[in-house]
Amino acid sequence: MTSRVLDFLIEAFEGQEVGEIEPLRFFSFGGVRFKEDLVQFQESKFWALKRHNLLIFKSDEPEFEYYLFLNTLLEVAEHYFQIEELYTLSGTLSLIAHTSPRRILTVYNRKEWKRRLEGYGLEPMTWKGPPAISSYLLWVAKKRGIPGVSLWPEIPFYLASREDPEAIRVVLSFFNQRFRLGLELGWLEREKQEQEEKILDLRRENREIDDYICRLEKGLPLNEEEQVKLAREIDEHLGKRG
Amino acid sequence: MGVKIYHRPDLHHPIMFVGWPGIGNIGLIAVSTLKEILRARELGEIDPLHFFYPRKVVIEDGLLVDLEFPASRFYYQRVGEKDVLFFIGEEQPSDGGRMYARGEKAYQMANFVLDVASEFGCHRIYTSGACVSPIHHQMKPRVCAVATSSEVLQEVRRYSNTIVMSELGERREGEGVITGLNGLLLGVAKSRGMEGACLMGEIPDWLSGAAFPYPKASRSVLEVFAQILGIEIDLHLLDESERQIEEIVESFYAKFPKEMKEEYDQRKTILQIRPGTITIQAQIYIDEQYKKGSEEGGEAPS
Repeated sequence: MTSRVLDFLIEAFEGQEVGEIEPLRFFSFGGVRFKEDLVQFQESKFWALKRHNLLIFKSDEPEFEYYLFLNTLLEVAEHYFQIEELYTLSGTLSLIAHTSPRRILTVYNRKEWKRRLEGYGLEPMTWKGPPAISSYLLWVAKKRGIPGVSLWPEIPFYLASREDPEAIRVVLSFFNQRFRLGLELGWLEREKQEQEEKILDLRRENREIDDYICRLEKGLPLNEEEQVKLAREIDEHLGKRG
Repeated sequence: MGVKIYHRPDLHHPIMFVGWPGIGNIGLIAVSTLKEILRARELGEIDPLHFFYPRKVVIEDGLLVDLEFPASRFYYQRVGEKDVLFFIGEEQPSDGGRMYARGEKAYQMANFVLDVASEFGCHRIYTSGACVSPIHHQMKPRVCAVATSSEVLQEVRRYSNTIVMSELGERREGEGVITGLNGLLLGVAKSRGMEGACLMGEIPDWLSGAAFPYPKASRSVLEVFAQILGIEIDLHLLDESERQIEEIVESFYAKFPKEMKEEYDQRKTILQIRPGTITIQAQIYIDEQYKKGSEEGGEAPS
């Protein structure tokens, strides 16, 4: 989801690659990944969207020297680009139906920053436990005096291995509103409808899957076995026809 | 990156006890319990940012309240005529999610600990850990020792319930490896002209992969610590956790088939040289929930 949002913004606003963090010290180099038959290599790049005064940082998660990595990222962003606000983006899997509205769960690193973003329909998160790297980044930003917010749009758990156009849409809508980007997002509405129709076909064919989704729509839980089955069936179905 | 020292007490040739997590957390529990019993005061800490990924985030109503890192703290106390330093590391610094420290960061941390020890005039370091042995869980664990010099080794041999590694079953040559910082620290100490010993409490081999602590062995180590300090210590602090773990271990033991139990029970009377198949068989009886590595991290909203 994050990758799709950032790639879309870079493409839509003809983002220019303006720098990168070299991978040495931060990655293991124990081999190389490939995806859809294409070799992938660790990237940590900065992109400038000049028209809207935005800087995008898109990266693989480092494996070593997290603090140095996050400080380097903010050092570059502050020193060379004078950033004033920080937004991090990650999806969070949720026990909701794909037909339910997506909330954007949110973490702020300053109280006043939270007040400033009231009115955008963001949902404050509460959590105690192991931190994601975005929380770590938010904490380092706070130490450096940079106001920041982590956005965690909800994604139905059974769309984890596929795309969730609705989650992408709510995030881009937020950016649209916040930065007056003037983006036309009708195409995401269409993608969402297409996906819903495909899932509807499956619900008609398979009463059990329909029952699971109905229960989620009513806010009822599924046990682990049911969750696994729903995720597998949806993944196979969307893969088959998509 | 570095060490923060909060107080500069006037210490006279202190000895230092050091503990990091390891198998059964035997050393960590022993050193932490001694620190608690002696009510040692905080002396300083090693800045965690260079060494660790944070272990906990606290987010309340959308606000990032706190990020907690594993602590690496120094403490001190006077015990009779002896000054004592403690270092307790809640986690071993490791790259790539390993449990035990290795590489540059491990070496750096070992040196930070020894820098503080040297600064306060300490020349004697005791680390602690686990000695995986083919013993029966109902037996009192012995304390196995490795030292930086034969003089220290002779000294340690005098303590009751203590043996040196070469006297232990299959390790007749006294060879082996002490994994992680509980071992590395002694190596670095030796190279810096300091002396010390690693005191390892025995843990039954089939329990070495379990995720729970083994306070029974920590108790044995603590008894040796008390001899080193020349004091009596009341170890009731360990009673409850020891009882709970014994209960879990006995529940596994109760599931052993009769023949297996008979073979295993021979450990009480006959010195076992090698683990043998009984170890592998017994490990099967540890439930999934008690095996190491079953927990998954990750952030999720409530």
